[in-house]
Amino acid sequence: MELKICHLYPDVLNLYGDGGNIMCIQKRLIWRGLGAEVVRLPLGSKTSLAGFDIVFIGGGQDFEQQVLLEDLHRGRADEIRAAANDGVVFLTICGGYQMMGHYYETFDGKRCDFIGLLDLCTLGAKQRMIGNYKFRCTESAGGSVVVGFENHSGRTMLAPGLEPLGTVLAGFGNNGEDKTEGAHWKNVFGTYSHGPMLPKNPQFCDVLLATALERKYGRAALEPLDDAAESAAHDEMCFKI
Amino acid sequence: MNLKAILAILLCKLLRALARMLHRGGTAMPGRWALKLCPDLLARLSKNVRSVVITGTNGKTTSARMVEQAFREQGFSYLANRSGANLLSGITTEFVMNCTLSGRMRREYAVIECDEAAAVRVLPQLKPKVVVVTNLFRDQLDRFGEVTHTLGNIRAALETVPEATVCLNADCSLCSSLALALPNRAVYFGLDKGAVPSRAKARLSDATHCIRCKTEYEYDYVSYGHLGGFHCPKCGYARHAADYAVTDVIEQRSAGTTAAVSIRGERRVIEINLPALYNVYNAVGALAAAMEMGVGADEAVRALAVFKGGFGRMEAFQLGKADVRMMLVKNPAGCNQVIDYLENLRNQFVLAICLNDRGADGTDVSWIWDAEFERLNTIAGRIEKVIVSGDRAQDMRVRLKYAGIPDENITVERDYEKLVSSLEPLATDVCFMPTYTAMLELREVMIRHCGGADFWEG
Repeated sequence: MELKICHLYPDVLNLYGDGGNIMCIQKRLIWRGLGAEVVRLPLGSKTSLAGFDIVFIGGGQDFEQQVLLEDLHRGRADEIRAAANDGVVFLTICGGYQMMGHYYETFDGKRCDFIGLLDLCTLGAKQRMIGNYKFRCTESAGGSVVVGFENHSGRTMLAPGLEPLGTVLAGFGNNGEDKTEGAHWKNVFGTYSHGPMLPKNPQFCDVLLATALERKYGRAALEPLDDAAESAAHDEMCFKI
Repeated sequence: MNLKAILAILLCKLLRALARMLHRGGTAMPGRWALKLCPDLLARLSKNVRSVVITGTNGKTTSARMVEQAFREQGFSYLANRSGANLLSGITTEFVMNCTLSGRMRREYAVIECDEAAAVRVLPQLKPKVVVVTNLFRDQLDRFGEVTHTLGNIRAALETVPEATVCLNADCSLCSSLALALPNRAVYFGLDKGAVPSRAKARLSDATHCIRCKTEYEYDYVSYGHLGGFHCPKCGYARHAADYAVTDVIEQRSAGTTAAVSIRGERRVIEINLPALYNVYNAVGALAAAMEMGVGADEAVRALAVFKGGFGRMEAFQLGKADVRMMLVKNPAGCNQVIDYLENLRNQFVLAICLNDRGADGTDVSWIWDAEFERLNTIAGRIEKVIVSGDRAQDMRVRLKYAGIPDENITVERDYEKLVSSLEPLATDVCFMPTYTAMLELREVMIRHCGGADFWEG
């Protein structure tokens, strides 16, 4: 069994160690004797999204956002919508997560239109939401407690029908108000969690892997791994915050 | 000086004396109180002092030490904020400690290391003659924000001092873009093509797209990170020729580097008293700064061979029979440079990484995933033992596991006393890679074992 993993826009969406998520997805497959092929699709790449089992989109700087949007609107957005509707697993983080929504409106009212795949929008706030945080995933996302680091000024509002990824236990989450964190629709997972998210939260990584394997092969028998180091790092932060 | 200023000076000196009685540094606190009493105290004191300010992401402290030594060689009477207190408060304290009670300065020159975010408050008061911007890399994103934001801060600071000469890193597309929007006289330093073998483009670059028109840069050569011979194929923004240029890195040793430089066309060979490529950049930047301040070429060159590095910056200790180097790491670019250094070592060594996440370190430790620890695999045979320490030791352990170092080969030891004691009988070389606050704590323990100066003495 093998999964094909796409790292979308690794050249510009590469802040906060988010590339560690790709390493995690890849290694947790390899450690189990499963295949993992990672393909990097930078800005301007003509390679299609078809055929990927997992797509990862990280967070980036505002500086490159404009070139990014041009690239999205040249066809990449349509591909993302098609793949998501087809059940491809997406992990999108911070800027990548916001991009899955309808739009971002800055504090002074300027609006930036996004993909509109997830029924959410993001509003710029004066105060940045920064710090270690934790949240409990919904049952449909595995129910584990995730620890991460958030750093965003956008407040994300989910439409009533959209399920959050989890409930905030400490920190801000989507907007610092309604205790929701992230979003989950079909197999698209969005979150503010840097850290990077997956290495310290292996249970959640395994949810993504199982979902992708299930979709591709109809079964997902994930052998347990030795997560002593990961658990120590996870539990220690969980205790601190 | 008016009464307020004199009271502020008095208060500052008293608080400092008090702090020292309590065995504290008292490097920033006295200045903070003095500024409350007299907000423009630094402007008043620095009026007749010729200052050079060094800012940028990496290499501030080391560059400042090099410039200091050049001033000593030249016989300049100067002050310097050597303790690491590089905000307005710490710089003000340093000036007060070098003036009389009536506010007359006892020094003619100043070498000031300045935090990138604080520059906008420091520069308008200090009115420096020369400002060096060493480089710009992603750094402590939770504190500084994006690298373009830091660039904006430095630009805003420089806008207040149009008379100052700016020394810019020609190889850093972010730094050198400062000259595009400023009236200041600019001079450039850098590594010319062929000075070192060009590397492949970094997996992670902090400046991929043109700062002017957002087209992807093309490179003639890369020295490290995003530094190198860049040009924009669309708008033509390109590396500026370096006035102070390293033309050839002749030999890199574990304790130093020999290089050929061209100073406005004149060739010289320099010996740098610290190893690693990033110190070659620091050296040529310091050379530029010192000479723009009026130091002679002979004196500036001599300084590089004899200066003493800052605490924790490639600092050498003798622990029993072992050679120990303490190499501060705080962001991916600097960390990758330290890994370069490790790759070039010939002896067996113990590697101890101490990761903290306190305010001065940056509370977000995700940067360790942007650094290329995978490269440790190529030298695994020479690494006798890997120890992780610090508040976030477990995060470091996971990172190293992913880099390919088997978890069973990694030891977690958070107690620095135990850590150092366990190393002492080994007689194996040791490389410490601590973050800032971990370095301060670890250094205290090392000094107890090996001797050395307190941090405020530098």
